Amino acid sequence: MPLKRVQLTDEVSRTLFGEYAAHRASERGHEEIGWDLLGTRQDDTATVLATLPAGEARDAGTEHVQFNRAAQEFAWWILRQQTRRLRMLGVVHTHPGTLRHPSSADYRGDIQWVANLKGQEGVFGIGTADADTGDAEVSSQPAPNVQCLGNLRLTWYLLGKDDQNYRGLPVELSIGPDLAAPLRPVWDELEVHADRLNRLAQQLSRVKFEVTAGHRKPALTLTIPLPDNQRAVRVELEGKDVRYRLLTPDRGALAADLREDRVDVGVFLMLSELAAR
Amino acid sequence: MDFRPLTETERKTLTTALRGNAQDGLAVLMDRQTTSFLGTAEEVPDEEVINAIRSVPCHY
Repeated sequence: MPLKRVQLTDEVSRTLFGEYAAHRASERGHEEIGWDLLGTRQDDTATVLATLPAGEARDAGTEHVQFNRAAQEFAWWILRQQTRRLRMLGVVHTHPGTLRHPSSADYRGDIQWVANLKGQEGVFGIGTADADTGDAEVSSQPAPNVQCLGNLRLTWYLLGKDDQNYRGLPVELSIGPDLAAPLRPVWDELEVHADRLNRLAQQLSRVKFEVTAGHRKPALTLTIPLPDNQRAVRVELEGKDVRYRLLTPDRGALAADLREDRVDVGVFLMLSELAAR
Repeated sequence: MDFRPLTETERKTLTTALRGNAQDGLAVLMDRQTTSFLGTAEEVPDEEVINAIRSVPCHY
């Protein structure tokens, strides 16, 4: 069934507008920015439940943005622990000027890409900073496929694999989470270690990723239960620190004398050491 | 309001859905207009999502 609407949760909407505003106020605010949209499809409605940011390691300028795909892939591995219902729905990206419609260059890439999505269609949002409503406190919807907050505007489209052009897609709001919001405090760590963490996520079926309290800020933490089910290897990634721990039932958490920034190498060194004992 | 017994197929499907809901937290879907049982939320294959993320095109 073709999509007739995209539904955004309130937290997803806040994320998009909030991070768009923060981006524009940053040193790289003149560049384009964007987000992957993950969520569910039911009948003719796509519901966005998570946003994955382009990341600091994105390749971007005033006329293009290429997301840090490795970081987004690993973020999905973390979300997958909560739910296996999330699928890729589409992409939001911004234009520095007043072009409120995807460009012809966007079309050339998107028309190929949507063929691989569920229903062979995708949701696309275009962000511009040219809204004329001016209300920074309460959003408005001057057209079915347009959201405005302050001077920021998101215009929503649908593109199917046989379409000659994007079609306006009505947008609705509902109450709900942005499931990826809790990952934002550790997104820097996530980007630095993404390639190695992606490998671990696929190699170790019982590894658990979570955001935990660190020494100075939230940490990205991996826990790998050992076969005896009583002990576990734990790795904490916080800033530039990579801390290895052995969790034991009788002696608590033991710090491992291991200095290894390559987290996958460190994990396998720990597992190898423990297997030899 | 009319009530009828579930067919064997309907009963099995509903039982499976409820078991999935209780054991794995899978959503039990409901038709928004009739409130009838629609099935369970499908699990999305890993490859579908990974391939989609890896192939997001550059945007201009």
